[in-house]
Amino acid sequence: MSLDASSPPKGTSARPTKPPPTAFAVLGVLGFIAITIAAGYDWTYGIAFSITEIIENFTRTNPAYEGLLNIDWTRFESEVVRQGFAETFQMATIATMLGALFGLPLALFNSVTGAPNKTVYVLVKNFNSVVRAIPDLVYAVLFVAMIGRGVLPGVLALFFLSVAVIAKLTSDTVDGVDPGPIESARASGASHLQMVRTALLPQVLPNYVSFSLYTFEINLRGSAVLGFVGAGGIGEPLNNYYQRGQYDRMWGVVVGFFLVVFLVDRISIAMRKRLL
Amino acid sequence: MSAPTTDDQARRRNEEIVRPEKPFARFRWVVTITLLVLWFGTTSTVDIELSGLAQLPERIVTYLGLMYGPPDLSVLGQAVEEMVISLGMAWIGTMIAAACSFPLGFLAAQNLSKRPTVFVARQVLNFFRAVPEIIFLILFIPIFGLQPMAVAVALGISSIGTIGKLTAEVIEGIDPGPLEAADASGGGRLQRIRWSVIPQVMPEVIALWLYRFEINIRNSAVAGAVGAGGIGTLLVRQIGQVRDFAGAGTSLAVMILITLLVDTASGRLRRRIIRGPTRSVDIGAEEPDGGHSGDGGAPAKNPIAPI
Repeated sequence: MSLDASSPPKGTSARPTKPPPTAFAVLGVLGFIAITIAAGYDWTYGIAFSITEIIENFTRTNPAYEGLLNIDWTRFESEVVRQGFAETFQMATIATMLGALFGLPLALFNSVTGAPNKTVYVLVKNFNSVVRAIPDLVYAVLFVAMIGRGVLPGVLALFFLSVAVIAKLTSDTVDGVDPGPIESARASGASHLQMVRTALLPQVLPNYVSFSLYTFEINLRGSAVLGFVGAGGIGEPLNNYYQRGQYDRMWGVVVGFFLVVFLVDRISIAMRKRLL
Repeated sequence: MSAPTTDDQARRRNEEIVRPEKPFARFRWVVTITLLVLWFGTTSTVDIELSGLAQLPERIVTYLGLMYGPPDLSVLGQAVEEMVISLGMAWIGTMIAAACSFPLGFLAAQNLSKRPTVFVARQVLNFFRAVPEIIFLILFIPIFGLQPMAVAVALGISSIGTIGKLTAEVIEGIDPGPLEAADASGGGRLQRIRWSVIPQVMPEVIALWLYRFEINIRNSAVAGAVGAGGIGTLLVRQIGQVRDFAGAGTSLAVMILITLLVDTASGRLRRRIIRGPTRSVDIGAEEPDGGHSGDGGAPAKNPIAPI
């Protein structure tokens, strides 16, 4: 290609030709479409996406939406709902703090730099993956089966969720740290623990604290679903109202819970912005 | 052997001059006290019987024995089927979220939209982020019935907030050069977006969608709370209702294995999309420097900062 602007005849070779799409792009798009059709189609392995059904159902009246139109705000005075809100906060706080405590070493050992040796690294990495693969609701139903209904299984479920989230996010930060301080710590004869304490931790600490706050937001939101399987929190009264079809009461609690979560999110995000 | 005076001097020098003062003493105290107050405040008021906690290790062993000694493999086919349905919910949900959040992301990006627009778009995204999935699920059951479709839509709508916000952040991090070039050659708003922004952000945005798909696979278990299908519902029924622990062992194993498999595949795909083909000549592809949240350019296994 000539860089001399005057030589090429106008309109033809001045514009470089567009390169053909790569095999990766073509396969990617095809695979994407195939998966979407397979997932949406109405068969054994699909979820039966149907636009007509949506339109049909939208026009029908139903008790859930009638309840949404006359929300019952008086439920906030009831003991059950207040207890639910208190439990949700307690569960989220305890689980986040314990999760942050256990999540930090798991995050550090999840990377080659932070782990004391290869065995620990492999073990912790696989452990983290498995913990992360189980959703909070499944933890909750498991712990309810083991130790009965109540707040404790809820705390345990949120604890595992917290460990998973904090370990995952913090370990990604650990992978991306500046190797300089680590090398200088090693060069000055630091033991592994001293290296982690003086070179690695200070680099990941702001992110780690930020992720812990973020986990608190997740826990607060996540606690809503746990009550549906008997693991305490605001989900218990929600589930009761839902099962009994008392939608006016349910939406009242939902709106209250939403406002609380929204407010906590704002505060937490403002704090995280200052941290980073 | 140096004289004690020199030694003292050196130490004093070291402490007073060479070593800078630690900056965060007050901050550290505030954090410590807050955490202690929170911990004792919550643990002393919470309604937990510690006997339950004491029984836990023994119970875990007992129940793992029930689940895996040995697991009931006759439910394997059903478990795989339900897990694939869960994957389908997560996929369709992510598609819905991608379609809805993409335009919102542009509206919420400070370098493309005006201040009031950004503010409104951000508040809309915050709204979707603050509502738990289960609430959207309850909201959509009357429309879609107690079906996987309701879960897919609920996951989709509740993912809009997160994906939209991250999309906006990716857009805000673009190189302004192409934007100026489009301006200079008289491009309109849509043309600017089409030719200057989209080519720059698309790899990262697609990676974002895939990442959210991985999260939504886990979140799809929320269907179990109301019984709307998928592996979550199967597990809640096996463990919570019919107490078929041997069957639950199989379902749990299937869920973990398939989740990890899809994670690995999706993670590789994300890296491939963001970094381009490995071990080939660098074709000047703009290396995304993982700009957000300072996770550096290094391994960047997950280039996505949360929120």
